[in-house]
Amino acid sequence: MMPRAMPLHPIRFYRDHRLTRAHSSEYIDDELGADDRNRIEEHTHICASCARFLASLRRTVRALGLLRPIGSAGTEVSDGILARLREEPDLGEDAGA
Amino acid sequence: MTHPRSTGVDDRALVARARAGDRLAFEELVRLHAGRLHAVVRRLVDDPHEADEVTQEAFLRAWRAIGTFKGDSQFFTWLYRIGVNEAHRRTARRTTAITSLEDQLVEPADSRPGPAAQFERSDLRAALEKAVRGLRPDYRAPLVLRDIEGLTTTEAASILGLGEAAFKSRLHRARLAVRAAVRDQLPGDHEA
Repeated sequence: MMPRAMPLHPIRFYRDHRLTRAHSSEYIDDELGADDRNRIEEHTHICASCARFLASLRRTVRALGLLRPIGSAGTEVSDGILARLREEPDLGEDAGA
Repeated sequence: MTHPRSTGVDDRALVARARAGDRLAFEELVRLHAGRLHAVVRRLVDDPHEADEVTQEAFLRAWRAIGTFKGDSQFFTWLYRIGVNEAHRRTARRTTAITSLEDQLVEPADSRPGPAAQFERSDLRAALEKAVRGLRPDYRAPLVLRDIEGLTTTEAASILGLGEAAFKSRLHRARLAVRAAVRDQLPGDHEA
């Protein structure tokens, strides 16, 4: 891994490098605080490896959306459940409300 | 994506009626949520018939226990938790040994030769399916709920009974494993 430039102290650079690798999912999900988010953005601006890594992870997450439609078995599934449900006894008087 | 939360039907009224023993109200909840729960379960168990059984069992358990549902969480969260637990229970029954996470997080990627860029969308989808199915159950579930079903971190963590930090850690590791398995087939991806 070769950073494009290293204006920061090396310790700070590698600390941010580890932060980026460890919290990239939270970054993608927009679940990071402003400080960590800024550090990751500054780091990926100077670290080509992390920039590629972050983009790759983002593409992976986006691609997982391809799996979202898994067929429309809804009615068929419901029918099977309802058939079994109708064999169930009524709830006891202490069942609910 | 049609999500249970976006059906426009107020689960709370149906749940209240079901808790009072109204079977028709519970049947309506079945119609509203069965498809999505089945989709989740289908990704957590390998056998389609078992997915049907798990989904049915989840709803039967929910019916029997509806009196204990106090409405502290949303109905679908409670229902998904029952379904995921049932799926894990069955999966665990068949799992004789779980080796270390590092070794078993994901199965090896498909090693077919050929230029990655020529993979079609369907090939990517197949690779993703394989990678997700290769994840250990405790890493697969966070990814399925968050990235495939589109639940929020809070919702998905609640369903799995995890704290958000633990959930995020598992989700991240699952994503890394999937990325490692499919990266050669991701459009525009390069060595990183």
